[in-house]
Amino acid sequence: MKKLFKDILSLEDVKGVMLFSFNGELLFKEFSSPLSEEPEARDWWPLLMHSLDGVSEADLVFEKAKFYVRKTDLGYLIVMTGSFVPSAMMRLNCDMVLPALNESSVSKGRKGLFKKRS
Amino acid sequence: MTKNVLIVDDDQEMLLSLKEGLEKYDGTFSVLMAADGLIAIDKLRKHDISLVVTDLRMPRMDGFGLLAQIIEHYPDIPVIIITGYSTPEMECLAQDGGAVEYLEKPFMIDNLAQKIVATLRKESEGGTLQSVSSGMFLQLIEMEQKTCTIRLADKSSGKQGVLFFHEGEMLDARIDGRRGEEAAYEIFSWDEVNLSIQNECRQEEKKINRDLNAILLEAMRLKDEAEEPSILIEELGDTKELQLKGKTKAANVTDHIKKKLQKAIGERSGLEDIYQDSEWDGLIAQIMRLGAFFDSGKLRLIYLDKGESNDVILLPGKETYVLLVNPKCQRDRIIALLSE
Repeated sequence: MKKLFKDILSLEDVKGVMLFSFNGELLFKEFSSPLSEEPEARDWWPLLMHSLDGVSEADLVFEKAKFYVRKTDLGYLIVMTGSFVPSAMMRLNCDMVLPALNESSVSKGRKGLFKKRS
Repeated sequence: MTKNVLIVDDDQEMLLSLKEGLEKYDGTFSVLMAADGLIAIDKLRKHDISLVVTDLRMPRMDGFGLLAQIIEHYPDIPVIIITGYSTPEMECLAQDGGAVEYLEKPFMIDNLAQKIVATLRKESEGGTLQSVSSGMFLQLIEMEQKTCTIRLADKSSGKQGVLFFHEGEMLDARIDGRRGEEAAYEIFSWDEVNLSIQNECRQEEKKINRDLNAILLEAMRLKDEAEEPSILIEELGDTKELQLKGKTKAANVTDHIKKKLQKAIGERSGLEDIYQDSEWDGLIAQIMRLGAFFDSGKLRLIYLDKGESNDVILLPGKETYVLLVNPKCQRDRIIALLSE
């Protein structure tokens, strides 16, 4: 999955990417610098994901950072950026990642259907 | 004020018959309904709920899951369990989990109503007070070393909050889904409140580590700062000096936003409506948690695309301003303009 997000992470002023399932489970994370606390340590992600129900795309603008939120078949993708990120370019990169992400959710489903014989 | 009771059951017939059967208690409490635990959590975020009645077996999130969420996030809200599959173990589990009552189906609706009324009455067993200053009263609670749960309603906005005290020490505060110091600051910024006292405190964990005086002072400071959406404070300097209140103030802010967009972008701003709305406060609180986790500073703006005929822009502040815009608007320009 790291490969999928490589282009987004290499954009100017992108600080990190997280992918959460709709239930708030952290499926992927990558940050440009280490965090003082890991996101998994917090238990409110399910509530945040639930609050986003129905949102297909969101921009969250804070004093010192921005977050771009995008709905995917797997859950919500959250891109953390600084204030000077090229927003249009970032959205475009997310657009490009979505088909591959959605495909991975389909293949995950198929794997579930055809279990290996033990 | 009529209290809201949330009834949670995946059996639609059961829900409807309970709603109908409880209608005669309308003067005492109103009934809201949810078909499972997840929907119930959403209702808890959006409404002031005083009590939850829940079934145990439900899809997506069952009654035990919901009970755990309520104990964790809304410890002041009592829960009554109703179930058609009762076993002594289940009853023990429910009561250990924090349920205040347990009823086996089938039951008489009036029997449930009596339990609801008796539980709600406990909310004010320690007395009620009208039109008092929250700060002064709460200092008395501290001095008297009281253990109690205090429910407060702001007289000007109608917002409700809860404070938890153990032997005079403030453990926690809650407004909607927000907890701790952040919620306490907002409650203490209310000038005049109605309040009721319950002589018990189900909250055990201490989530507020500052003393009451420090919280009161900080609340006053934040109140001064947050009279308007943060991005507009500097621009509306003159307006602030005028000490405008209520509708005039809201009209002034909306007018200012309209003019600002019109001047910079003209008709292509795609602005279709502006109004104040607290319905989004739950989502805003969750997003503020995200920002706080990453030390992102103050939340300035939220842009939401829900795939509907309008996109939504939220400008958080003491009152949330909502802008409805055409999805084809100049999004990045508007975001930059309103959050600069």
